[in-house]
Amino acid sequence: MSGATAAPGGDEDRLAARLAGDIRALFGRSLHIRTIDTGSCAVCESEIRLLLAPHYDLHRLGLFFTPSPRHADLLMVTGPVVRAMEVALGKTYTAMPEPKLVVAVGACPLGGVYEEDELVRGRLDRVLPVDVFIPGCPPSPLALLQGLLVAVGRLAEKVSALSFIAEQEAAP
Amino acid sequence: MALWFLRGLARQVVTTRYPAVLDPWAAALPTPPSFVPGQLTVEVARRLVESCPSGALWQADGELVLDVGACTACRTCQRVAPDAVALSGVFELAASSSVHLVKRIPIEGGER
Repeated sequence: MSGATAAPGGDEDRLAARLAGDIRALFGRSLHIRTIDTGSCAVCESEIRLLLAPHYDLHRLGLFFTPSPRHADLLMVTGPVVRAMEVALGKTYTAMPEPKLVVAVGACPLGGVYEEDELVRGRLDRVLPVDVFIPGCPPSPLALLQGLLVAVGRLAEKVSALSFIAEQEAAP
Repeated sequence: MALWFLRGLARQVVTTRYPAVLDPWAAALPTPPSFVPGQLTVEVARRLVESCPSGALWQADGELVLDVGACTACRTCQRVAPDAVALSGVFELAASSSVHLVKRIPIEGGER
């Protein structure tokens, strides 16, 4: 959160930043996650399911999956947001108590696989306010874990500092 | 049991952290491309944009734009231009804004 100028709006910005920090501190070690599949091919789901396996063991980090959106703090959305799921997605989001986080999982909700047309919305951020984007097709369980920990403020995001320019070999 | 208790005390609570050492197979995970600036000419960039099946690449203002979010790490671009494209090796790609995922790569001889 970076205010361009120290305008009168600065106080609200600081307050919002502090509130966001407080919320993340509360969620930090006790976060309940609801997943919703909006037309995914189910590979993202299989990677999400691996988070519960002993190797990654999500519970040791204080993160849990819950079947009820009423109990959920974070919504993980997979799939390209098919229009048939839009109502269900909206109801799930509305049913979650405030404060809540939304994580877009995989290339589909990030706009990489389907264009917006009469069947799909193509991007999740057209429908819901997204807090963390996790790229990948599918994202590996480690990438998902990093994304969840970025969402609760326990890890810093890495990708914003990367240029994706390969380092050139030294001239002979 | 007592030994496990002492081991826990000695090693602190390592199990509640993000893995300090990544899995050995993490290096083999599919990752988005990174581009070799000297090899990325206008012609190569055009071929890359045409070949990308997920529309993650496009050209703007003499630069190649990569949307890491849209990239499915399918490596088609690497097959099309093996000299200009390497794998970035980065899979921890979570971003708090989709803007952070859009990367601009200068094209050799690209006109603005």
